[in-house]
Amino acid sequence: MEMDKMGVVTTFLHNIVVYNIPLLYGTTGEIIVEKSGSLNLGVEGIMAVGAIFGYIVGCYANSLGVGILTSFVAGALCGLLFAMLTVSLQANQNITGLTLTTFGLGVYFFVGNGVKAVNWPAMADYVNIKNGFADIALPGLSQIPLLGRGLFSHNILVYLGVVIALGMWWYLNRTQTGLRLRAVGENPAAADSVGINVKRYQYLHICLGCGIMGIGGYYMALNMSGSFNSSCWINGYGWIAVALVIFANWNPALAIVGTFVFGFFNTLRVSGSSLALAFPEGLGWLSSVPTQLYQALPFLITAVVLVISSIRKKKDGGQPASLGLNYFREER
Amino acid sequence: MAEQFAIEMKGITKTFGSVVANNKVELNLKKGEILALLGENGSGKTTLMNMLSGIYQPDQGEIRVDGKPVTIASPEDAKALGIGMVHQHFKLVEVFSAADNIWMGKEKAGFLLKKDRYAQIQAMAAKFGFELDPSKKVYNMAVSEKQTLEIIKVLYYGAKVIILDEPTAVLTVQEIEKLFQVLRKMREDGHSIIIITHKLNEVLELSDRVAILRKGEYIGTVETKDTNEQELTEFMVGRKVDLNIERPVVEKTRPLLEIRDLTIRNDEGAVAIDHVNFYIRGGEILGVAGIAGCGQKELCEAIAGLRPIEGGQMIHKGDNIVGLSPKAILDKGIAMSFIPEDRLGMGLAPSMSITDNMLLKNYADSKGIFVDRDLGRADAQHVIENLGVVTPSTETPVRRLSGGNVQKVLLGREIKAGPNVIVTAYPVRGLDINSSYAIYHILNEQKKSGVGILFVGEDLDVMMALCDKIMVLCHGRMMGVVHAHKVTKEELGLMMTGSLDLSHRYEDKPAGFAKDTNFVQTDEEVEP
Amino acid sequence: MSIHVVKRDSLSFGKKVLIYLGAVAAALILGGLLLLAMGVDPVAYYSRMFTMGMIGNKIAYKAAENYLKIFVPLVVTSVALSLAFKMRFWNIGGEGQFILGAVAAATVAFQLGPILPQPVTLLLMCLAGMLCAGLYGVMVAALKVKFGTSETLLTLMLNYVALYFITFLGETQAAWNFYLDEESVRPIFANFSKIVSFPSIPIGKFGLNVCVIFAVLIGILIYVYLKYTKQGYEIAVVGDSPGTAHYAGMKVNRIILRTVFLSACLIGLAAAFKVGTVGILSTTVTDDVGWTGIIVAWLAQLNTIAIFVISALIGVLQYGSTAAAATFAQVDSSFADMLQGAILFLVLAADFLIRFRVVFAKKGGLTNGNG
Repeated sequence: MEMDKMGVVTTFLHNIVVYNIPLLYGTTGEIIVEKSGSLNLGVEGIMAVGAIFGYIVGCYANSLGVGILTSFVAGALCGLLFAMLTVSLQANQNITGLTLTTFGLGVYFFVGNGVKAVNWPAMADYVNIKNGFADIALPGLSQIPLLGRGLFSHNILVYLGVVIALGMWWYLNRTQTGLRLRAVGENPAAADSVGINVKRYQYLHICLGCGIMGIGGYYMALNMSGSFNSSCWINGYGWIAVALVIFANWNPALAIVGTFVFGFFNTLRVSGSSLALAFPEGLGWLSSVPTQLYQALPFLITAVVLVISSIRKKKDGGQPASLGLNYFREER
Repeated sequence: MAEQFAIEMKGITKTFGSVVANNKVELNLKKGEILALLGENGSGKTTLMNMLSGIYQPDQGEIRVDGKPVTIASPEDAKALGIGMVHQHFKLVEVFSAADNIWMGKEKAGFLLKKDRYAQIQAMAAKFGFELDPSKKVYNMAVSEKQTLEIIKVLYYGAKVIILDEPTAVLTVQEIEKLFQVLRKMREDGHSIIIITHKLNEVLELSDRVAILRKGEYIGTVETKDTNEQELTEFMVGRKVDLNIERPVVEKTRPLLEIRDLTIRNDEGAVAIDHVNFYIRGGEILGVAGIAGCGQKELCEAIAGLRPIEGGQMIHKGDNIVGLSPKAILDKGIAMSFIPEDRLGMGLAPSMSITDNMLLKNYADSKGIFVDRDLGRADAQHVIENLGVVTPSTETPVRRLSGGNVQKVLLGREIKAGPNVIVTAYPVRGLDINSSYAIYHILNEQKKSGVGILFVGEDLDVMMALCDKIMVLCHGRMMGVVHAHKVTKEELGLMMTGSLDLSHRYEDKPAGFAKDTNFVQTDEEVEP
Repeated sequence: MSIHVVKRDSLSFGKKVLIYLGAVAAALILGGLLLLAMGVDPVAYYSRMFTMGMIGNKIAYKAAENYLKIFVPLVVTSVALSLAFKMRFWNIGGEGQFILGAVAAATVAFQLGPILPQPVTLLLMCLAGMLCAGLYGVMVAALKVKFGTSETLLTLMLNYVALYFITFLGETQAAWNFYLDEESVRPIFANFSKIVSFPSIPIGKFGLNVCVIFAVLIGILIYVYLKYTKQGYEIAVVGDSPGTAHYAGMKVNRIILRTVFLSACLIGLAAAFKVGTVGILSTTVTDDVGWTGIIVAWLAQLNTIAIFVISALIGVLQYGSTAAAATFAQVDSSFADMLQGAILFLVLAADFLIRFRVVFAKKGGLTNGNG
């Protein structure tokens, strides 16, 4: 009985990570985009595009690597579209982002329904992809009781997501290119005046960030053990990622923590009842909490964080000063 | 052998829409000289320099650096050519440290950010003779510190040609002197410098040669030692103007507005105005001098009822106006026109028509729920005719007007309401000399009709000529009220920086409120 | 020779329209190429879409009625959003405000519908929807004026809070939950159209829903409100320059609160129209008008008349694609989303041509004899 309870906890931890890593991809990607000064509300659509193309090409090539690469490229192409419109053509970022969501979901369903019509097999039928997505236990760490299997035995994309997030933190804070990127997001005119090519930085990082989001979308596809059905794989994760960026104060390392927190609620929604069953005395009340509360919590918490941080008015918060504003050098 | 120039600009033309900002302008900069670029506001100085720094590109013309024709398509190109510009509005990242603001533009800095960059930047600053705290964040810096940082920045990038756009506008007299020393030292080190200004005294004091622009046209270049203020003014404005501003003598009435022991806090909660006393009589202009941000804005806002006060009284014709709404204060006949740095941010709605802007303060007076635009149109017509506003129609958006006309519209509206006290801050900010004189004339007319005027200004020469008395503020404290025709510029400068405090000249007596006679020289100044 | 870009002063109305039409045409051509590749005749598809399948249809009046059901909430929401946008208040919380308005209106319908006469119930539904949506919106405005909270991000978050609230109502079977159908074993929303619904004015077979008339009235009122009233004047000044408004003695914060409240109220009203017409709640009750409305208001450059035109066109696109999908089975109805996206992208790109001018700089040393 004791072991059983531990098993429930371990599974719970495991699920937090497995089901919510796409949030980390979406958030890391959006942080990179926003650090360049662009507020991109198209995350949901970009993840959807990454998902559907990663799924199709990955299956066609029967290779997880090709799938990842394709989803990255598909996401980055969406980023390129966003950058062309907002950076070069000075279009409103809110409108462009929202349109990208509509467009991305449109492409997703259009292509998805197309392949569904020709009876494309489920992803699990592709041996290489299935094996590639299998869990890899980290030697040593995964032996820790209770936590080990929950936190340190996961598929390769979980590790990749954490590595990308930490890498992006390092890139932003410890490299000169990162410094320059932050300068572009804070004050593009200042960055421009010292010879930083603002447009190039914005283009590159919007594409990079959107590419990372694309991988997140592909992960969703893989995790749904991927055969296409009519409900969307992304299912609002893109919007949670936009919220998570604020929660993480535009810091990719904090995004890992934020993903875990948001993921915790998300997982309670799905398996709160099994916790309640395992610990009826302590956690029995969990089963009476409406699941929609867990769904709303990430947004509620972020709203509270937004309000609190605006009350505190910190001068060097993580939000880039020029977020959402287009830069036009010859502005008079 | 022909002289080698650091910069040659040939036949430069630049237009914005239908406005010709520069028309076939010529400019040569010798190596190792300080060239003053002189011109009124709107004469195209900044535009011309922005083409050297890669912000704009010329529609026509050629630029040569060290004799070689070049294309400067971006600030990146300018930097590579050794041209650096200190803009009037600083281009700094507020949340970065001083060192990072410089480091972000460094070429071949290496991919990694290392801690030793702070020491490197500090050492380099010291080499050029500057003190700098490399880890200080820009948002914690004073204006002069930011300017120093900007200069160090362009030096660090190896600029041989350094352009400064109105660098003295935000500095105190003492800080200006220090800046000039720095510039002279840079000249000795072999840098070539262009300084944009419209202050003649600075031109004569600092430069080797002067190039003059007028309304976008190139007028000529002269050796500084062969010229004088009168000649430069003629070049600048095209005809001889009377440098003396009129100061009519008017019968003064009793005080209209009396400020007693006033204390105000600014947005950050710090004390902006600290126990200040003064009064304004009808028929006089009281100047308010002080370096930027020493409480002028808060004072104006408090009088207009836009800002709550911490303590003290404001008595208008015997009534305390503390706590009244802006509208109620307006109805009492206190008008305010405040020209902020961006000119349009306060007092006017730039995208709206002249008519709509005329209605700003009295739109609510008409009956019913609709705005009475006929009234606004009539007012607009009146102001356009009386003050000579140049505009296609009353329905033209204010943003399409030129600076002088914008300010006439603003002041015209305030005067239209027939006030008895006018609070005006920086009414000639950014205006050329002719427009400025038009504004001075308007103010003097008001003074003659018995209106009391509080004139917050930035140009000491103007204030000494126009005002009857000048009150000096330093960090919110009043340093004294002096007669404008008696005081010297140096005295004002010292008072502005807090080195000279006349308000406590007689320690045995309380400073009282604005008994200006208390601290100006002696006997003959005593007021009747 | 080099190319660079400068801002344009203005462009004639005719040219603007021409450029936008060009963008729409380009998007349609792109979509047409895709259709061709799928072996569908684009001309046939488009004509089916733009006539919304009404030509040669015996129940064309039904199609027109259904089209108006899409049009009314969209146009009212867009007009409402334009009020807030005019003040540069980025209310992207239309979705959330719409949902709360819909729930409030439905509450009145369920609770009071059986007791009160229909016109009274309908009026109370509208008022309840307006009040709830208005409060939801004004809360954000209050935080914005008090603390400077980013309204863009906050309204975005609140959209989802509202969405999961209505989901909660739709999925929770309990004694208190009068929103659900008691007959059904699975939780589904109950239909109240038999209790109360907005009447239609019969014109032949076609029934003109009164909400359409209300929508047009609202459009006219808001147009007059913005253009001729003192409050509209205040909105224009605050939107143009908050500093100036403050200085002129306007109570800026109050104007912001008032306008955002009005904006959100109108969205609540749109929601009341919607549920009062369809007679049922749904988690997709908004039909995304909160999002689409933003795009419509922006495309129309906040001009009330233009909002009506663009709402009508977007409605055709959305409703027409469903109609076309019925005939062309091989084209998924998501084609409309892609087409809408493509049109918007191209219009956004075309907007650049309207706001900016591309200049070719010549080397002056050669062309300019001035020397």
